[in-house]
Amino acid sequence: MDSIPMMQLQILSAILFATGMATVLMRRNLFFVLMGVELMLNSANLSFLSWSRTMTGAATMSGQVAPLFSIAIAAAEACVGLAMLLSVFRSRESMDTDAFARMKE
Amino acid sequence: MIAQVYFWIFATVAVLCAGSVLVSRHPINGAMSLVGTMVSLAGIYSIIGSPFLATLQVLVYAGAIMMLVVFVIMVLNTAKDHTTPLFDWTSLFGLVPALGLGALVCKVFQGLDAKASVAMNPNAPRGDVEAISKTLFGAGTQTGGWALLFLAIGVVLLTAIVGAVLLAKRHLDPKPATEGGH
Repeated sequence: MDSIPMMQLQILSAILFATGMATVLMRRNLFFVLMGVELMLNSANLSFLSWSRTMTGAATMSGQVAPLFSIAIAAAEACVGLAMLLSVFRSRESMDTDAFARMKE
Repeated sequence: MIAQVYFWIFATVAVLCAGSVLVSRHPINGAMSLVGTMVSLAGIYSIIGSPFLATLQVLVYAGAIMMLVVFVIMVLNTAKDHTTPLFDWTSLFGLVPALGLGALVCKVFQGLDAKASVAMNPNAPRGDVEAISKTLFGAGTQTGGWALLFLAIGVVLLTAIVGAVLLAKRHLDPKPATEGGH
């Protein structure tokens, strides 16, 4: 159960966060920007859960509860982000991030 | 030992699917790869002793949120948009902070590895439904006000729903029937 070294979990989390960050910063398609944000939130959850296993007693449960709020915030973010994407796609007919450089049009 | 084997399988799948999100062309392929990453992360959660969060990851993340993303991708039918390239030369500037951050974090953890305080505590309680609900809703001294935050999350989600409906509406005019009348 507890035979996995802590550092492997943390390095996996760091790799996923870097991949998500690269997706957000590098991709031109707006859908992939949103997916990169989801990836970064997931890696933060993994980091939360694995650090919580190093604590003792009630502090462990705080680390287990915090990702629950992170997931709820991610749901709200996906909801609003996709609605914005919908309304902005209707006016531009494009998914390119460069098409949204000027919002006032 | 068996946990280590499962961890390597799940970690490999998660990293490969995350890389597939980075390089796939069609948004549906990217969304399905993201579902793969989330499901393997749920497996890792259950290995390290958080079965409730693993269930929530599959139900909410891989189920609800990714269903919403796939639904919007299919509604918009962005497959017609063939002109958008995957990357451009500006993307190189995005590669630098991502690689730099990953390398920096890995370096910090290499330095931390020697210390005993970052080892897993084998006696830490498992995050099952009973323990999490006691922490979340319990009125003891050890709870840090999570119940109030839980209510606040309800308000945030309601606000997000109302905001999404307002943003995605075509017309904010309450009487759209009179538009084409004259």
